[in-house]
Formats: sequence, structure tokens, C-alpha cells
Amino acid sequence: MFKLTRRYLFDGLLQGITFLFSSISFLTLGAILVFVFNQGWSLINIDLIRYPYESTTILGAPLDEQTEFCLCEPNIALDEGVFYSSKWGVGFEEGVDLLGQATVQLAYIHPESPLASLKNKGIEDNEFVLLPEYLIQKISYNDRATSLARRGVERMVNELESSNSIFEIEVITKGGGIGGSIITTLWLIALTLLIAIPVGVGAALYLNEYAQKSQFANGLRSFIETLTGVPSIIFGLLGVAIFIPLTVALTDATGGNLISGSLTLSVILLPIIIRTTEESLKVVPVDYRNASLALGASRTQTTFKVVVPNALPGILASVLLGIGRIVGESAALIFAIGSIVRDEITLTDKSTSLAVHIYSMMTDEPANIELSSTIAIIILVIVLILNLIIKFISNKIMKGKLVGVI
Amino acid sequence: MKKIFDTQNLNLFYGKNQALKNINLTIYEKSVTALIGPSGCGKSTFLRTLNRMNDLIPNVTIQGGVWFNNISVYDKKTDVIDIRKRIGMVFQKPNPFPMSIYDNVAYGPRCQRSYSKKELDALVKESLVKSALYEEVKDRLQRPALELSGGQQQRLCIARALAMNPEVLLMDEPTSALDPIATAKIEELIVELKKNYTIVIVTHSMQQAARISDQTAFFLLGDLIEVEETRTFFSTPKDPRSESYITGRFG
Repeated sequence: MFKLTRRYLFDGLLQGITFLFSSISFLTLGAILVFVFNQGWSLINIDLIRYPYESTTILGAPLDEQTEFCLCEPNIALDEGVFYSSKWGVGFEEGVDLLGQATVQLAYIHPESPLASLKNKGIEDNEFVLLPEYLIQKISYNDRATSLARRGVERMVNELESSNSIFEIEVITKGGGIGGSIITTLWLIALTLLIAIPVGVGAALYLNEYAQKSQFANGLRSFIETLTGVPSIIFGLLGVAIFIPLTVALTDATGGNLISGSLTLSVILLPIIIRTTEESLKVVPVDYRNASLALGASRTQTTFKVVVPNALPGILASVLLGIGRIVGESAALIFAIGSIVRDEITLTDKSTSLAVHIYSMMTDEPANIELSSTIAIIILVIVLILNLIIKFISNKIMKGKLVGVI
Repeated sequence: MKKIFDTQNLNLFYGKNQALKNINLTIYEKSVTALIGPSGCGKSTFLRTLNRMNDLIPNVTIQGGVWFNNISVYDKKTDVIDIRKRIGMVFQKPNPFPMSIYDNVAYGPRCQRSYSKKELDALVKESLVKSALYEEVKDRLQRPALELSGGQQQRLCIARALAMNPEVLLMDEPTSALDPIATAKIEELIVELKKNYTIVIVTHSMQQAARISDQTAFFLLGDLIEVEETRTFFSTPKDPRSESYITGRFG
């Protein structure tokens, strides 16, 4: 009876520890997800893709110096929170820009308002209209008083009501979009995989099919394993030292660019792809190789007709790992491609990936955790979609081959 | 009968271990030669020297001569691919490729040159008919080969080897992974195939050797103890060791 209880005790203890630690890990992972979604969900908005990152400031002024007041009432019902100046016929409301900061936006403008059409002070003879997507920065009056948007929309409209002529309206276009960074990230994934997969698979084939157990191959293998543990920032230095000068010499690039970034990422990916592919080549049954050779196929034919097709699911698994690595990489990319956010993406110009975009947001003063979390959610979605696509392809390959047995 | 294989003083070493000792064996055309003996006696090793499948194992040294139709198999000038084209092989465990039945049979020919679809269709059909599998699979040639039962898979492997139109079929315990009914089918097939092909079969079952072979070679610890016409071998073995093996005193 004593033995039995002791065993129960130990079993229970070990089980308890297992459950405890597994729940700690699940809770931690869950907490990270909850945090990211909690912080970032509010800023998820299609405008993040629709609007560019760069914003421009426009200085506008009424067309006529001696403006007549509108003194008109809105012909539609205004929402709550809209402050309307009947003298000028405009209503403003508070809003949030793409970065999550409070702004003042145009809510309504009366057709007869003197502000319905403005002249652009920066460019001669250029008229423009106020749009709801412009963020109102400040309005200056001819008596030299200025009302600033950041003091609140209510105060701004009150000051507007009490002024007699408007000297200047400063607006900025909506900016802070992340479309450019998304495109850069997709480019990086495509280019890096395009470079790293053929090279990595080729190296794995050499190691597993040709070199096998030679001293040289074993040395190479342990070297590759060491490379897997090298911090990526060192590969970033390699990018700066080799790939940036190389691309500058060969293309019209002038500094870090998408190609040098992809090359650097390819080097980071190589050890992973070589190792995963070699593992998957190893598990291709030796029976298949024997059968092929006994049929009078050459070694190369055996490799490419039997071994590689059977290792494809494993090679696709290395692609999955690779995508994760590309999307998650930031340290090396800061060096190899730069952290400058761009809207127009060209292969030979600086731009930045989503991960580095987060880095830029977090190094701003103050750090923008909300937008960073939003970008994190977008990264998660991109990785999820790519994973599903590859799983789908993998299943397609496995179907038609391995039904039933093995 | 015409000689097809001839080995003279064949010695084979795995590293320092001698696996075959001075083997002198002649194999005749269009007959079945059975290689028997207890596990580890070198019979499979011998079979694999005939089409140079031992090349794939590191640290193998071979001394002596193997002649196939008066070609020295281990001569440096001999093209190993040509040898393997002319000597088909069937393995212990059915090992069809994870592709369709059709592609399995067409694999060997496709490796040699490009065929028109018509030629290939005819070749695949002919090979499957020869291996007595055609009737069972004719409606599902594009289905995965791994859907077939073990016995069918083994006959598919035979069809795959036959598609190369070899002169010889080497079989390494082709029925050891199969149930008795599938085994009987394969044995029937071997007897049928012997009309056109030379067959060398390694088997663990003395009954099988007695049923299907014309000549039996008994191996023990790397030595070739006795080669004899099968009926004579099993009724009046010359060597006392053969006799004790046949009567089940060891093995």
C-alpha cells in the first residue's frame, strides 16, 4: 500500500509539473497575442494601405483677401462632435490619424463657404478644396492670432467664429501608410527565396547525395551548423561590406537597396534551408535509390527523378521556416537595406520591411506601440496566408503519391 | 546450355571482413538458379555483385572475376549502367516509387531515352502482362502504386524490371515479405518467366528453391559449399554440411 501511494505521489508531482510548465508557455504565448491584438486592433484600417507614408503640408488661403462671410446654416444634420462655424460655413471634428494621434478634420463644408475653394500658397494659380482626409494643423487670422488644432477642435471653432478674416490654413495630407513596407516585405520574401532555395537545395544535394560521409562534407556540415547560431546582425555587416558595394557597382543603386537586403537574407537563410533539406533527403528510403539505380538510371537521374520529388514536402517546410525568418528579420536589414520608409518601391532603392518599420515606429519619440502592434498583426496575417498556401501546395504534392501505405 | 554468368575466384571484403570466399559459380541461360543458405552466409552479397549493386556500399573490395556474357563486369571499361540495364533486379521489400503504376513501369525506359506515348503505352502494357498484373490494374494505371497490395506491388516491381527488357532477373528474397497466396503467384510467375529470362533468386525457403529452381547453390559463411542440379541437391547432397542444412539441423 505504501509503495502504491508513493508512486501516485511521484506520478502526480511529475504530471503537475508538466501541466504547470505547459500552461505557463501557453499563457505567455496567449498573453503576447492578446497584447498585440489589444494594442493594435483599433488602428487596423484599410487606409493604412490606401494612403502613402509620406505626408505633405499644404498652405492654403481664401481666394479673395476681402472674404465675405457665409453666415449660413448647414443643409444637412451634423453628427454629434462636429463643431460648426456658421460665419465661415465649415464644421470640424476630432479624428485619429493613421498613427493613432488625435487630429482635427473637416466634417462638413457649406457650398457657399468662402473656404470651399482655396488657393495654394506654395504654387501660383493653384486652387484646391478642403477634403475630409486633410488634417487641419492651424488657422491664422489677419490680426496675427493663430488657432492651433492641437488645442482642441472646440476652441479652434470658437476662435474661428470670432475672427474677421483668414490669412492662412495649414493642412497636411494623410500619411503614415504602410503599403510601401508591405510591398518591400513581399519583394524580400520572393527575391530571397528565389536566391536561397536553389542554392541551399543544391548544397544539401551535394552534401547528402554526392559527398555523403567524407571528411570534407562533415567539416562543411559542422560549419553550416555553426552558421545557424550566428547572430543575424553579423550577416548584416556582411551585407554592408559585400552586398551593398556589389549592388552599387552593378546596378544604379547608391546605397542599401532591396537586392542587397535579399542577398543578405539569403545568406541568413542558407544554413536553415541546407539543414532542413538534408534532413528531408535523408529520410527518402534507400530502397527507392536502389530500385532506380538497378533499373539502369544514372546517379543524377536518381537524384532528380526520385530523391528530390520525395523530399519536396521537406523542402517546402524549409521554405516555411525561411519565410518566417525573412519576415521576422530586422537587425540585419537595418544595415543591409536601411530603415527608411518609402512609398515608391524600386529594387535598387532604399526601402524597409514591416519588421524594420516597427523598429522605426518604436524609435520615434514617443514610441508608437499601437501602430507597431497593428503592423505586428499585419505581419501575422501575411505569414499565416503564406503558410496556408504552402501547406496547400504540399498537400497537393503528397496526394497522388502516398495514399495508404507508409 | 549457354553460360550467362561465370565467377572465378570471387572474393569480397566489407572493410576487413571477408564476405565471399573464392566463389566459382556458373549460371546458365533461361534457367532458375536458387541461392540458399542461413542468414549472413553471403548469398545476397553474391547476388548484388552480379549487377554491381555493391558499388553503393562504402569500403567494399572485390577480387577475382565476374563475367556476364563474356563481359568482365568489374572491368574499368565496363559501363555499369549498361550492365544494370541488362540485368534487372527485384528486392526483398516491394519498393515501387511513390508515383502512378504507369510511371513506375515507364521509369526505367524513360531514363534511357525519350519514347513516344504510343511506344510507352505498349511497353507498359506488355510488361504488366508479362508480370501477370495487367488484368488487376488495367483500369487504374494512373493511380498511385502504393495503393496496391504487397503482392501486387512486388509484381509491379517485376514489371518495372521487365520494361527494360533485361536478359537476367536477380531476385533478392522476393517473397519474404508476402503472404502465402501472393508468394504462390510470384512463384508461378517465375516459372513462367524462365522461358525468356535467366533468373537468379536468393531465398530463405528451401521448399521454394526446390519448387522453382533448376540449379541450387548452397552458401555458408561466405563459402560456396555446393552447386548442383536442384533435384539432385535436395535428394543426394554431396557435402555433409548441405545435408544437415537441408534436414534442418541448423540454419
